[in-house]
Amino acid sequence: MNFSRIQAIFIKDYKEFSRNYAVSIMVLLPLIMAFIYNKTGVNNIQAYFLPINLAFTSVTAFVQCCLIAEEKERNTLRSLMLSPATLFDILLGKSLLVFSISAVTVLLSIFLVGYNPGNWLILGIALFLSIVFYTGLGTLGALFTKTILEASVVILPIILLFSFGPFLTVLAENIPVLKVAEWLPSTQIILLAESLEVSYTLSDVLIPIMTILIWTIIIWLSTIFLYKKRMVD
Amino acid sequence: MTHVIDVQHLQKLFHQEVALRDVSFSIKKGEIFGFLGPSGSGKTTTIKILTAQLTKNKGQAYVFGKDAKEMSKSSNRARFGILTDNSGLYLRLSVEENLSLYSKLYNLPNSSVKEALEFVNLYDVRKKKVSQLSKGMIQRVTLARSIMHKPELLFLDEPTSALDPVNTQHIYNGLRKLNEMGTTIFLTTHDMSEAETLCDRIAFLHKGKIRAIGSPQQLKKQFGDDTITVELIDGSEHCIENCKDEAKKVYDWMRSGLISRIYTNEPTLGDIFLQVTGSDLI
Ligand SMILES: Nc1ncnc2c1ncn2[C@@H]1O[C@H](COP(=O)(O)OP(=O)(O)O)[C@@H](O)[C@H]1O
Ligand SMILES: [Mg+2]
Repeated sequence: MNFSRIQAIFIKDYKEFSRNYAVSIMVLLPLIMAFIYNKTGVNNIQAYFLPINLAFTSVTAFVQCCLIAEEKERNTLRSLMLSPATLFDILLGKSLLVFSISAVTVLLSIFLVGYNPGNWLILGIALFLSIVFYTGLGTLGALFTKTILEASVVILPIILLFSFGPFLTVLAENIPVLKVAEWLPSTQIILLAESLEVSYTLSDVLIPIMTILIWTIIIWLSTIFLYKKRMVD
Repeated sequence: MTHVIDVQHLQKLFHQEVALRDVSFSIKKGEIFGFLGPSGSGKTTTIKILTAQLTKNKGQAYVFGKDAKEMSKSSNRARFGILTDNSGLYLRLSVEENLSLYSKLYNLPNSSVKEALEFVNLYDVRKKKVSQLSKGMIQRVTLARSIMHKPELLFLDEPTSALDPVNTQHIYNGLRKLNEMGTTIFLTTHDMSEAETLCDRIAFLHKGKIRAIGSPQQLKKQFGDDTITVELIDGSEHCIENCKDEAKKVYDWMRSGLISRIYTNEPTLGDIFLQVTGSDLI
């Protein structure tokens, strides 16, 4: 791992992102939603988390997926792989930008929607892990596909599933299969936020955080595995 | 270790289909070595195996005296440069920004960007976005990127295909300069004249096998029929063996002032390729 290489990839990505309006405009989506929600006067956790989960999927996962898919399609990723930059230099450098943009977008969404979490520290940990998870999800989606077009098609149902997964739990009473949606990171973070509003126990905090952590580890191990495979034809 | 690349009985299959059948060759330090073969003959596959982008099925492949697999290591990657037909550049970034990324990845001083751009004669367009460049210019930027760390070994996969003669000449000059500075070059091409102008030695690759190998002069000698043609002033041409028995004919013609031109009948590389493979290049 080499800090100046990571930084160089980050700076490169920032320049590309800021000139790629088709992708950078996605940042506005959760912000607009948060703003509108605030104006309609919602005041429950479920509603607060709609723009937040949308930021995770349409900014974190989607933008990451587009950026990496483009590098694949244009063969710039292969060129990076053939330079002395290591796997971690490239994956970290390529995740840092989306991570930073996501962090800002999520915080702005929270502010715009008018949400004031019960415990900033605990929620902060969950938000941090979630961003890491969705960055991995976007990377994985891009590594699976060959072109930007393919990638955006693949990532779409994933976005829908993770953004609106929490709503599936409501339907779970009639369709028991949907109970698995309870274990999605997007549902778990809502459950966590809801407990933070009342007097919560250790397990109320640990279960969601551990669940998101496990998702994060699994997604990144798969990403690293697939990346290594993509290094050879 | 004097061989920068050493390949023995290399075999590569893609799902039972043979891409490389049995390839053996080695490249000495400081050489420009050309892999000449029609498209589909296995040139790119060879380069990919040597740069750890593909795994081989059988045989040995050594680069810098190490198993080619080890070229995936960061420290080994810093020792070679590679230019392929699909080496990507960032279209939204300027020429300078593209190279500046790589100067940091290779841990080079800032001056390396300017040096590399001057090398390919593109310093004036450094502020231009890559998307605004012509194909030839893009190829030169990619070349600049692949040589900016002054690699010991340079892989070039059809570096001048689809370039006009002026750009091609630019690239040739750059490559010769680089070679004089000590870079060993492994070049693939399907252009015979390119192989002849640039390469110290060439190998003919056909259907995953090397059919002939040597310097262009050696090959021409080996596959030439050792005849000379004498053209007389009356326009008649006489193809004669280059040997003692025929000397008298030439002597007599020359004494009578009948000769207008004499030349050896060297085969072109294309002729030789046809002879050893039974098929045309391309
Ligand atoms: N990734 C791959 N999968 C399947 N077949 C391949 C692959 N890469 C190359 N080939 C086949 O291997 C042979 C050699 O290809 P290649 O090395 O690209 O030839 P060249 O570079 O000389 O044009 C061709 O028949 C090609 O179709
Ligand atoms: Mg090829």
